[in-house]
Amino acid sequence: MRDVETRPRRYERLIILALLLASLPLILGFFLLVLSSFSTEMVTNLDPRSFHPTLENWINLFQGKIATTGGIRVNIWRITLNTLIVALGVAGVVTGISALAGYSLSRIDFRGRKTMMVLLLVLHAFPGVALIVGVYLLYRLTFPQNYEVVGLYSFAYVILARAALEIPMSIWLMKGFFDTIPWEFEWSGIIDGASRITVWRRIMLPLIKPGILAVALFAFLAGWQDIIYVRTFLVYPTLATFIEANIEAEYSHMPLIAAAGTFYLLPTIIFFITAQQLLLQGYSGGIKG
Amino acid sequence: MRAAALWLVALVIFGVIASGCIGGEEAKTSSAEVQLTGDITKDLVEIGKVLEQNGVKEVKFSAWGSGDPNSVMRVYGIVEAARRINKIWADNGINVKIVVTETHYVASFQDAYKEYLSKQPLGQAGDFFVNSYAFLPTLADEGYILDITEYAKTYQSVVDDFYPSLIEASKYNGKLYGLPQDTEARPLYIRKDVAQRIGFDLSGLDEKVKNGEFTWSDVYYWAKKAKEEGAAEWGLIHRKGSAHPDLIQFIFAFGGKLYDPNTGKLVVDVPAVYKWLYVEWKFARDGLLPEDIMSWDWAKQIHPAVVEGRTLFDIGGTWYWTEWQTKQYYAKGGTPRGLKPEEVRDWFYYTLFPAGEKGDKPVTLSQPFVWMINSKAGQLNPKYDELKDVYHKLAFLMLIKASDPDINAIHSVISAHLPVRKEAAKLIKDEKWLNDLKALNLDLSDEVKSNIRDIVQATVNPINAQFLADVSYMLEYTHLAPAHPKYPALADIFKEAVDKVLRGEMTPEEAVNYIIQKVQADPELAQNVEIQGEIPKDWKFPQG
Repeated sequence: MRDVETRPRRYERLIILALLLASLPLILGFFLLVLSSFSTEMVTNLDPRSFHPTLENWINLFQGKIATTGGIRVNIWRITLNTLIVALGVAGVVTGISALAGYSLSRIDFRGRKTMMVLLLVLHAFPGVALIVGVYLLYRLTFPQNYEVVGLYSFAYVILARAALEIPMSIWLMKGFFDTIPWEFEWSGIIDGASRITVWRRIMLPLIKPGILAVALFAFLAGWQDIIYVRTFLVYPTLATFIEANIEAEYSHMPLIAAAGTFYLLPTIIFFITAQQLLLQGYSGGIKG
Repeated sequence: MRAAALWLVALVIFGVIASGCIGGEEAKTSSAEVQLTGDITKDLVEIGKVLEQNGVKEVKFSAWGSGDPNSVMRVYGIVEAARRINKIWADNGINVKIVVTETHYVASFQDAYKEYLSKQPLGQAGDFFVNSYAFLPTLADEGYILDITEYAKTYQSVVDDFYPSLIEASKYNGKLYGLPQDTEARPLYIRKDVAQRIGFDLSGLDEKVKNGEFTWSDVYYWAKKAKEEGAAEWGLIHRKGSAHPDLIQFIFAFGGKLYDPNTGKLVVDVPAVYKWLYVEWKFARDGLLPEDIMSWDWAKQIHPAVVEGRTLFDIGGTWYWTEWQTKQYYAKGGTPRGLKPEEVRDWFYYTLFPAGEKGDKPVTLSQPFVWMINSKAGQLNPKYDELKDVYHKLAFLMLIKASDPDINAIHSVISAHLPVRKEAAKLIKDEKWLNDLKALNLDLSDEVKSNIRDIVQATVNPINAQFLADVSYMLEYTHLAPAHPKYPALADIFKEAVDKVLRGEMTPEEAVNYIIQKVQADPELAQNVEIQGEIPKDWKFPQG
């Protein structure tokens, strides 16, 4: 008996073709975006005559020019760094908290454990936009009087607020990974005299490395692509807010914005190419309750 | 359970009280006073001395602007003003310096406004904010911008040099909240080559338009002739979208209004709106205007159709003149390119937006940009509480300096916007000054020179300056779209109605009723909009 569901191979090509057709609009959209970033005009109508190859958009982007002639220079590297700080911050906070909380929920039978697990799912169901008024109120209440620390504060706040949205699901994912580790590994450590925290750190964490990496990746991507929280709380621009503020259908040189969009997509593409196995493990690990 | 409920109630009460405390801190009164006299050097020296006495050696300001890429003087004007003030201080032995720490410039002025709205209460918005006058009432109402009425009284001679309608646009409830930065007109462009092919004599046309002799019925007649004789693919191309007030000009051209100053309400002037929609409907039904133009692409369809001569008429803005030169819309030869100044001059005739019908007047519509000062301007500087009044007065004097005629004239020439000061209008007619600008042989900071160099190379020439000089008279015919918070919502409904009549989904009569129903269905709009007049019976277009 086979251990996975199978179907006759004769339908395989048909299914792949159907899936390809269904994904075509998305693939085409990204393809045209990348193509337009190397063209003097947007290639949006599938007309090859629209494509006039140039590297000018990328050169202008890296020089921080938002127009083909003169104007204001922006520091695109500084903007990228801002985006990176937010993404890495969210990844760090989410991974740290969910690794601890996932372990507790998986291994320790404390009072209110089940309620907490249900509440975490409820929390996950709240869209970030719905919470933004309350989150903004807290932002105003805790806003520093000393303007010199405002930049630092806004980074910390946006990281924590954005991480809070990711944490519920990440805890569930992490709990799923801990659940897959047999109790015997832990018992042996405890019998040898290790504390619970030592067991967690030295035995359990190395065993769920794929899970940690998957959660960190999801969180990184959430931070990288966020626009609502970043726009509301961060006093500096990120790539998302930079692109949004410079899309003005009439004025903007859209191929340059296409280059900025492609640049913004790069980490996502790289991560998905290099870590797709890891992400699949993340999903399969996370669904085991 | 009961304890948990009590905790929850306590938390809510705390939240409510705490939210009430936000922004409630009282401002301390200033201990250092400076009286403005109207002599800018004297006032600056006085302010410089007070700052020096208080140990302030560096004053930090930031400037936020937005718009098309050629309009960067909206922020560099502030940078240049700072340099000029620093020079005055240095010449008078005052050891204080203004540093413009940030020049934040984005393409979308609506986004810039939203960003200012969200960051001003947190003290994170720019000290200077240049944006459309349409947002000024809301910002003034919220207390987010500085009332400069009293300061401006001492600089009445400068204020008087601005065009009065623009100063009025910078006021709210009778108080002045900013100084005009630029404005524009929206001419009717006519392709000379297409006109020649159909025997349309353009000589003296602008006078006929001014006198109301050439109306939209004549536009229709020639558009139809151009189409029928195969001289052009289209008779008319116009802009799209609700934010652009080009089409709103029809309401004024048919003698209608959009705002009632007596009630403070917006107006749907039914007869004028009906005539506007009828003209659009008629042009589209006869194939003179693309019925799907409201979804055309700016760079691939709208501009190329005009610069490649595929239409006889085009409703656009003055800034099109340089945009057609700096953007690669013309692709007839294969590779897209910008037009040469000579081509723009030789191919396009321009005139006011004609009267709707005999007896009406020609119009144009302006949407001036205004330099505003953040009500928290200077807050990042030392001793802000004690020196608040001094910082605010310094910010005002920076606006006065940024409005220097040459700064305003440079902006006008490189962005094809109209000057807001009469002195600046004189300057753009001065050939020597234009040559100096072309060579960047002007008293400007290196930073400004370096950032506008290639825009100057692409745009400064006698042809462009002559165009600006020629269209300046249009300001005498200008109307302003109402600076009412609900206007954008009403403009959106107008846009939908135009799209529906163009596509033939509604007759003009149905579209007017659609507008009325949409207005009445929205409680806020219903409260803020008056429906005036009725659909005229037996109205004909075109008229004999």
